[in-house]
Amino acid sequence: MTDAKAKSPVILLGMTGLGALGVALSFIRNSHERFWVNWIYWFVVLFTLGIGSLFIVALQHLVSARWSIPIRRVPERLATLLLPVIPVALIGLMAVRVLYPGAQPEALHDHVLAGKVWWLDLPMFSLRTVLVLVAATLSLGVLVRGSLRQDKTKDPGFTVRARKFAPGFMLVFAFLVTIVAFDWISGLTPDWYSDIFGVYLFAGSFLSALAASSLSVVLLKRGNRLVEVKPDHLYNLGGFTFAFTVFWSYIGFAQYMLMWYANLPEEVHWYHQRLHGGWHTVTVVLAVLHFIVPFFALSTRDAKSDPKRLAVVALIMLGAHLLDLYWLIFPVLGEGPSFTWTELSFALFFLGVGLLWLRQAFTWGDDMPVGDPFLREGLEFRL
Amino acid sequence: MSNSEHPVPDPETAPETAPQTPVAPTNVPEDGHTEAVDKTDRGRDDAFLVLGLFENTDALMAAIPKVRSKALGRLEAYTPYAVHGLEDALGIRQSPLGAMVMVMGTLGAITAFACQYWISAIDYPIVTGGKAPWSWEAFVPIMFEVTVLFATFTAGLGMLLLLNKLPFFGHPVLSSRAMSAITRDKFALSVEAEGASRAALDTRAVTQALKEVGAVSIEIVPQPEPAPVFTAEFVLRAIGGIVTACVVAGASMYGAVKWFPELPPMTHMLEQRKLMPQKSSSFFRDGHGMQLPAPGTIARGYLPLGASSQDEAAELVNPLPRDIATLELGKQKFTERCAVCHGALADGNGSLTAAYGAKPANLQSAQFQRYSDGQIYWVIVNGKNAMPSHAADLSADQRWAVVHYVRALQRAQNAKDQDLNP
Repeated sequence: MTDAKAKSPVILLGMTGLGALGVALSFIRNSHERFWVNWIYWFVVLFTLGIGSLFIVALQHLVSARWSIPIRRVPERLATLLLPVIPVALIGLMAVRVLYPGAQPEALHDHVLAGKVWWLDLPMFSLRTVLVLVAATLSLGVLVRGSLRQDKTKDPGFTVRARKFAPGFMLVFAFLVTIVAFDWISGLTPDWYSDIFGVYLFAGSFLSALAASSLSVVLLKRGNRLVEVKPDHLYNLGGFTFAFTVFWSYIGFAQYMLMWYANLPEEVHWYHQRLHGGWHTVTVVLAVLHFIVPFFALSTRDAKSDPKRLAVVALIMLGAHLLDLYWLIFPVLGEGPSFTWTELSFALFFLGVGLLWLRQAFTWGDDMPVGDPFLREGLEFRL
Repeated sequence: MSNSEHPVPDPETAPETAPQTPVAPTNVPEDGHTEAVDKTDRGRDDAFLVLGLFENTDALMAAIPKVRSKALGRLEAYTPYAVHGLEDALGIRQSPLGAMVMVMGTLGAITAFACQYWISAIDYPIVTGGKAPWSWEAFVPIMFEVTVLFATFTAGLGMLLLLNKLPFFGHPVLSSRAMSAITRDKFALSVEAEGASRAALDTRAVTQALKEVGAVSIEIVPQPEPAPVFTAEFVLRAIGGIVTACVVAGASMYGAVKWFPELPPMTHMLEQRKLMPQKSSSFFRDGHGMQLPAPGTIARGYLPLGASSQDEAAELVNPLPRDIATLELGKQKFTERCAVCHGALADGNGSLTAAYGAKPANLQSAQFQRYSDGQIYWVIVNGKNAMPSHAADLSADQRWAVVHYVRALQRAQNAKDQDLNP
């Protein structure tokens, strides 16, 4: 997420330590609901960022994209966030009995949930989560570990293997994102469901990964790494971000409008909660930050290849993704939007851990996939 | 370099006053045959552009800044494949199409919003599907569509008409001799006159400049002959075509309607299985689409009376307070429904009495003075003797208000001293 090479890890370590203290205190002092809601929030944040980055890598292999080879190492390193996600997810399984109505004993008396308990209860929930983690880790091994190895072996066979692996990964990816969206987010309110919800989370996940990649590329360039990456490469990253702000808005609004029109009580209460009181403000801010600002900031041709503007938009986009997930998850507490020392501690702890991890990850392999036989073609990319 | 064998015209020999004088063709056809006369060039004294051919991209890219610095005219390059960096070298500014699309797309969104807002919220507000007339959510899909419509039309038509100057059907460079080489392996740099005035192109200077930068062959392309579009023949053909199309379409439609069976395209909405009023239905055993409500059904807002006779109804208590609002309502309903027979004073002396020779009840009589509120209510609901039921005309509250008002009338006609204000 950041270059962080020049910076001393002391700040990050202090941040993480302070956060860890707050998290521990929150476990003792706060209600279990509040603690676990924060926990699963950060699981989803890290997971979407990691899996979205892996999606970018796989997408480039799938279509044999050449332009992206010089910057491919960035999403590859970001995708390694899927490794620290594993303990976060496994610990997060303790939240299932606390937060998810489908896994609670009362569900047996709920005529809507009673037939779904076998699927929503802890054993099946854990099984799906473990399958998601295993599939994500294996894919990470094939695409990222293989790419890091190629730096030394210069084996062009990896490029062929990755291209053959990518289509299958796309199918698996669709299931991974949908399972996490349905189980971990939509499962908080099991009587509410939206078929498009997995696609909605995918849009946010892909956008956050694009934003993180763009930001990292700009920061690396500022630190005199990735010198050969041209504005043309930045233009493509900016173009992707620009296009997918529209995609996210399209999916988000389509989901809202259908439920608004049908006005079915079991569907509309989810939006009713988010369109009243403090959550209404959050909804408006989300629409502005996630769509209007990036759309207009990136709409001209020059803006997409301007590193400064791209970095600012990427930061806004990452903030908007955090806000998006906050807006999806936190209303389950039944309160208005609030940001207390608990949320601050969780943010410090998980951001600290994530940045420390990335600080390490950005030393793995070369800054560019130097073993890729098409790297030169990627460097010569012109719009 | 072959251009030494085919020298460009000497600037000294050309007339000073007419720089656009036809210049001998200097290009070398790819097959190596030199033609003495270029027929596309003959007899024209206006040049449209001058083409210089180069062997490779490096020569072309090296030549561009040198020719550009002389500011002889508008530069354009023709290459067999895309050459990176050409736009920058030629100084071609960014197309204004993006800005045009942005402006028109925004205009489309505003148009769609304004139309829908005015129609749905101001001019003809109707509640549809339980949504308020002013529901922005319902406007968004149409705003999106109209934005796309405006944007794509602007992009398409703006590109064709404004930027590519349609109906400028064939660029002269397409009929140049060098074109076949450009589409194979040569790279051409062309110098065009800026703006509308072709006379501004100094062909001698341009030819000289192109020669200096190493063009292997130079060609002067003449201005195309203006082709009038609306000739008499074109107009006659257009009108003839339209008339023929109308006749053929009309005749086939007539024939289709007259001789072919009607084939309704989609009838799912029309022919769905549903109950229709006044229609038979195979759903119920008795074959009627309309059914009596199930026994015990109570319509919304119509609680049953709970009494089966007037004596039972005597026990009912008037639920309404005896206040001004209730009495006003009772007076209004009494005047509308009751006074025509029972009289404005409830003395049985209404305006219809004489006309029909009927004898409505005198509510001031002792018999009705003794009636309880419930008994009067019962009569309003069920009618009595010649009096019909008013259950359909008056709601429960209105009936009880009328009862209050009748009581007030009875009291007014039998006022006592202590009723007067002290």
